[in-house]
Amino acid sequence: MQLATQLRLLLLCAPLAAADTRLLSLLSEHCGACHAGAQAQGGLSFNSVESLQKGGKHGPARDRIVPHLTGEMTPRMPLGAQLPPAVIAEIKAEVAKLPVHSAATDDHWTWLRQLPAKAAAPSVANKQWPRNPIDNFILAKLEKQNLTPAPEAGRRTLLRRLYFGLIGLPPTPEETRSFLNDPDPLAYEKQIDKLLADPRYGERWGRHWLDLVRYAESDGFAIDGERPAAWRYRDYVIRAFNADKPYDLFVQEHIAGDEYRGKKTTTPADRLIAQGFLRFAPWEADANSKKQLRQDFLNDITGTVGSVFLGLTTGCAQCHDHKYDPIKHRDYYRLQAFFAGTAIADPPLPFDAAENPKEMKRQQRFHEDEAEAAQLELDRLRESLKQQYMAMYKVGADDPKTKQFLGKLNTKNLFFLDQDLPLAKEPEWRQPIKTYFDTRDKMQRSQELARRHQALAYTVKDVAPPAAPEVPDTFILAGGDLNAKGEKVEPGFPFENKPAEIPFAGGSNGRRLALAEWIASDQNPFTARVIVNRLWQRHFGEGIVRTPSDFGRNGEPPTHPELLDFLATQLIEKNWSLKAIHKLILTSAAYRQASVHPDQQKYAAADPANRLLWRMNWQRLDAEVLRDSILAVSGRLNPKTGGPPVLFNVPEDVAQGFEFFKWFPSPDDEQRRRSVYQIQRRSVILPMSETFDAPNLSTSCARRQSTIVAPQALTLLNGELTRAEAEHFAQRLAAAADPINEAFWLALSRPPAAHERQAAEPLKNNLASLAAVLFNLNEFLYVE
Amino acid sequence: MNRRQWIYQSAFGLSSAALGQLLAAENAKRGPHHPPKADACIFLGMLGGVSQIDTFDPKPKLAELNGKIMDWSKEKKTDQPNLFAKPRKFVASPFQFQKYGRCGREVSELLPHTAQCVDDLAIVRSVQSDNGNHPAAVFQMNTGFIIPGNPSMGAWVTYGLGSANKNLPAFVAMPDFRSIPFSGAQQWGSGYLPAEYQGTVLRAAAEPIRDLASPKTLDANHIAAERQALRLLNSAYTESRPDNPDLQARIDSYELAYRMQLEVPRVLSIDAEPDSVKEAYGLNDPITASFGRRCLMARKLVEAGVRFVEIFTPSQSWDAHGDIRKNHEKNARETDKPIAALLKDLKQRGMLNKTLVVYMGEFGRTPDTPADQATPGRDHNTRCQSMWFAGGGVQGGSIVGTTDEIGHKAVENVYHMHDVHATILHLMGLNDMRLTYYFAGRNRRLTDLGGRQIKEILS
Repeated sequence: MQLATQLRLLLLCAPLAAADTRLLSLLSEHCGACHAGAQAQGGLSFNSVESLQKGGKHGPARDRIVPHLTGEMTPRMPLGAQLPPAVIAEIKAEVAKLPVHSAATDDHWTWLRQLPAKAAAPSVANKQWPRNPIDNFILAKLEKQNLTPAPEAGRRTLLRRLYFGLIGLPPTPEETRSFLNDPDPLAYEKQIDKLLADPRYGERWGRHWLDLVRYAESDGFAIDGERPAAWRYRDYVIRAFNADKPYDLFVQEHIAGDEYRGKKTTTPADRLIAQGFLRFAPWEADANSKKQLRQDFLNDITGTVGSVFLGLTTGCAQCHDHKYDPIKHRDYYRLQAFFAGTAIADPPLPFDAAENPKEMKRQQRFHEDEAEAAQLELDRLRESLKQQYMAMYKVGADDPKTKQFLGKLNTKNLFFLDQDLPLAKEPEWRQPIKTYFDTRDKMQRSQELARRHQALAYTVKDVAPPAAPEVPDTFILAGGDLNAKGEKVEPGFPFENKPAEIPFAGGSNGRRLALAEWIASDQNPFTARVIVNRLWQRHFGEGIVRTPSDFGRNGEPPTHPELLDFLATQLIEKNWSLKAIHKLILTSAAYRQASVHPDQQKYAAADPANRLLWRMNWQRLDAEVLRDSILAVSGRLNPKTGGPPVLFNVPEDVAQGFEFFKWFPSPDDEQRRRSVYQIQRRSVILPMSETFDAPNLSTSCARRQSTIVAPQALTLLNGELTRAEAEHFAQRLAAAADPINEAFWLALSRPPAAHERQAAEPLKNNLASLAAVLFNLNEFLYVE
Repeated sequence: MNRRQWIYQSAFGLSSAALGQLLAAENAKRGPHHPPKADACIFLGMLGGVSQIDTFDPKPKLAELNGKIMDWSKEKKTDQPNLFAKPRKFVASPFQFQKYGRCGREVSELLPHTAQCVDDLAIVRSVQSDNGNHPAAVFQMNTGFIIPGNPSMGAWVTYGLGSANKNLPAFVAMPDFRSIPFSGAQQWGSGYLPAEYQGTVLRAAAEPIRDLASPKTLDANHIAAERQALRLLNSAYTESRPDNPDLQARIDSYELAYRMQLEVPRVLSIDAEPDSVKEAYGLNDPITASFGRRCLMARKLVEAGVRFVEIFTPSQSWDAHGDIRKNHEKNARETDKPIAALLKDLKQRGMLNKTLVVYMGEFGRTPDTPADQATPGRDHNTRCQSMWFAGGGVQGGSIVGTTDEIGHKAVENVYHMHDVHATILHLMGLNDMRLTYYFAGRNRRLTDLGGRQIKEILS
């Protein structure tokens, strides 16, 4: 309230041109609380006729003011109120006197629509600092503001930064010591090469990608049915990152692997599995309206393809023209039309050599046999219960009561058992019924495990005539409403008016192929920029565009557009190799800066968000990295890679009480594998992950939150993981000559300082307590 | 000031001198939009969908029509196509209605205790929603949208208002663990809002908040020694790195966690409550004990400054397809007495005028049942449900909305689920159009494009 008053005063003090005084004073009186000053809502300020004409995010305001006041445009203004008709009429009359404003040129979109230009690295005064062209772009901007970059971080800090950044785990004491003692001037570069070649790189970067593609292994909604083959996509992504699969190929496989006609090396399995991407949205398996279900599926794809690959909020044009960016309502449905013929599919697909086919087969057989044995046992128990029932009630096998009783034995959630099967309370029935349901659990668990080892693909296919009916028509839907069909549209690329040319694609219809080739192209101005920005974002904590899935006007403008373009052109030049871009970024002086600047206070005042990159940003460990690091330090991380998902132990309030499935945790050693292998089940999320800001699995997550709340402290102080692993960490320390020293090396890659040794000394006889304390340290959770 | 600090401060934070000034500025932006009528809300989620016809919206016409076949051929959209494809027959309410209170409101014999509080209730008989499937409908009730991924109303309220007791979570959810709502924690989740706005689940077990208690294997000396070492090590590291305020925030979060360890059990201890209170809430009766305990905890939490409390019946508990009488009798029996006790208790303590209580399900129920069904039930109905508000800013004894003569559809003063949300926000001092969060390209709201306040029931 106070703020609004201040702004109003500020506004009233602003000089007004005499002729427009009446309009501005009306607007200031009724709209000035929000639309004035530097913080004006939507960027629209009524401070002056110029600012009104220039408008905000929605463009010039002249023709929008009155419709928003009358409610013809939403939201009706002022928010939560209505102006008296007389006032609206007066404003309308005044607005009519304003000259019609010609459309402003949109510099941002002009830049964005152009292909990335390979600018020469700008020249800088300080010739010593730059290590590669990235640094010229950073330094040129700093020098313009008379700022200097922070000094280089210490070697230990750099090593931890590289390890957490590239593989998501801390270095071991041996690795740290060997790096610190390496006299080679290229020791740092060697570490980069080593870590980029480490298979754990794929596990770390694969997880980033899984965030983006809303990867989940269940449908969500009521049934939340498992997607038993979805994990093959997770492994595909990890393999792709490790093999440095060219990003353009990676994109093509995601959208139209089945129709791929390029020359790059790929496998039939990869091409189908990657398409799982198109299906990861929630899926209401028991939806009342199958048409709506299909429309929801198409809407998700249309929005997700736009945000993940193009950095555009295409989803905003589902109901109307995009309010900020030049994406028309029509374009949304033209984009959607590429998927009009797409249907979900789960075809058999043999495991690739990389997927360990023999072991998969063996496991599948084993669990099938187990399930079969349990089934036989279950049939026997069922028969015995039936006999017991028939004897008790003196009824025959064909009696409806007997049949009803057998039906009740199918109860899924045992909560309903009492009401469905009152017998279950009787003493002589309790044990047999319990045995029956335990056996059923065993059977279900084995069936689930068998299904997860089946050679199936979670993918899509396209229909094409003559083998299948015509591709369904796509209509513009007013307000996104399936019942409000408008004009019929053909597939077309955003920003192009003509229909897309659809290539021939054998038994498929080729539409997705057309889109895939348009996106994964060096002629697409968005694709390369968006992915290099994502790499930058993970290394620096913030992207060059800080809204990594929204490059439009409503997002944040790039801090260094020429640098972004430079990186994008590098990516294309290097045959879309992500590892090449990693290396470029990681060898820059900008990346090697310390996280604190000698002139910190002054710099922080001048550029509090560090947009100019005068130091390195701090990053808190992601939920998965934190958990994996605790296991690594305790020495218990199970390094096994790939395969069906791990089901973790959860408190009963998280995984019980579901009507449609039961939760069967994996064996203990499996549970100690890296977090990326944990099942991503929409209705059961590991509480620790949730507390530490893991994504919610429903929509694409481009940037995780990094919150600080008391439940995190409780989890790390008292949680099962900390306390169990602290015991094992302690056992590791027990043999050491100097356990405190060893503990610091393991957890923090350094020896304790004198004051730290002193602080740790009282826990010398309780090494598990010391270990728990170390897991809770700020230094353990933050990367400098 | 960066967002994290703000978030931290608002949800569980303490004031730190360095941040104080900035915090004040951010708070000014994030506080209520107008003076609130209610400081807290207790939301009673009747999962499965309560039948309006058998509780608050009597339909004598159905007694005439009972057993007659209903012609649905003209009805284009039905909530459950497979059920409506077959002939259906009308079902009269098996429950008697009677007038209660000064307002003379009719309430059925299912809810004898709630009926005693009817002068405090504002009943809306005309709330509609968008989807007749439980999971989608429960999502809409809790998050405004029928698809997953959106913040729950409690998350929105805490995001808007922050916490009033920094030693307790601002938003608490108490599901029934016999059968938790579909999609579990997403129903009280924070969606795309930062994680601290998610509801904290209070469990009925000995440890009400997960990981609240220190490990039992550690004695008090041990715990003290650990805390001391952690303090020393963390503060030395943090003092030498003043450039990162998150480090201090983390230290503060530990101090807060220690205080929560003391405060939460104290607030939630109901052993010390007088027998009369326990009796009133039904804690001495196994049928009412579960819901009653949670109602009593809700009162204590609100008393201690918690903003938003949600209590849910078991998932689909009110879903009376098979037998309306048996199902609704069971569920009413479990909830009616505790709810009335809660209302009376709040009132007696002078808290009701600053606390909003909301009672609703994900949808209402149909006036008919499949014709071939032996025991009459009622199916899903998104065209009307009866729900009520009570407490701060609500005009007790008021009523709004009219349904057609068979209770199939709201016909006058029709409101939408969004309007219920807009009204809750309004009463808590928030304008639903202005409570926004920028995500995936636009400013998002609990009420999507906006709801209308249900003005008829405001005091």
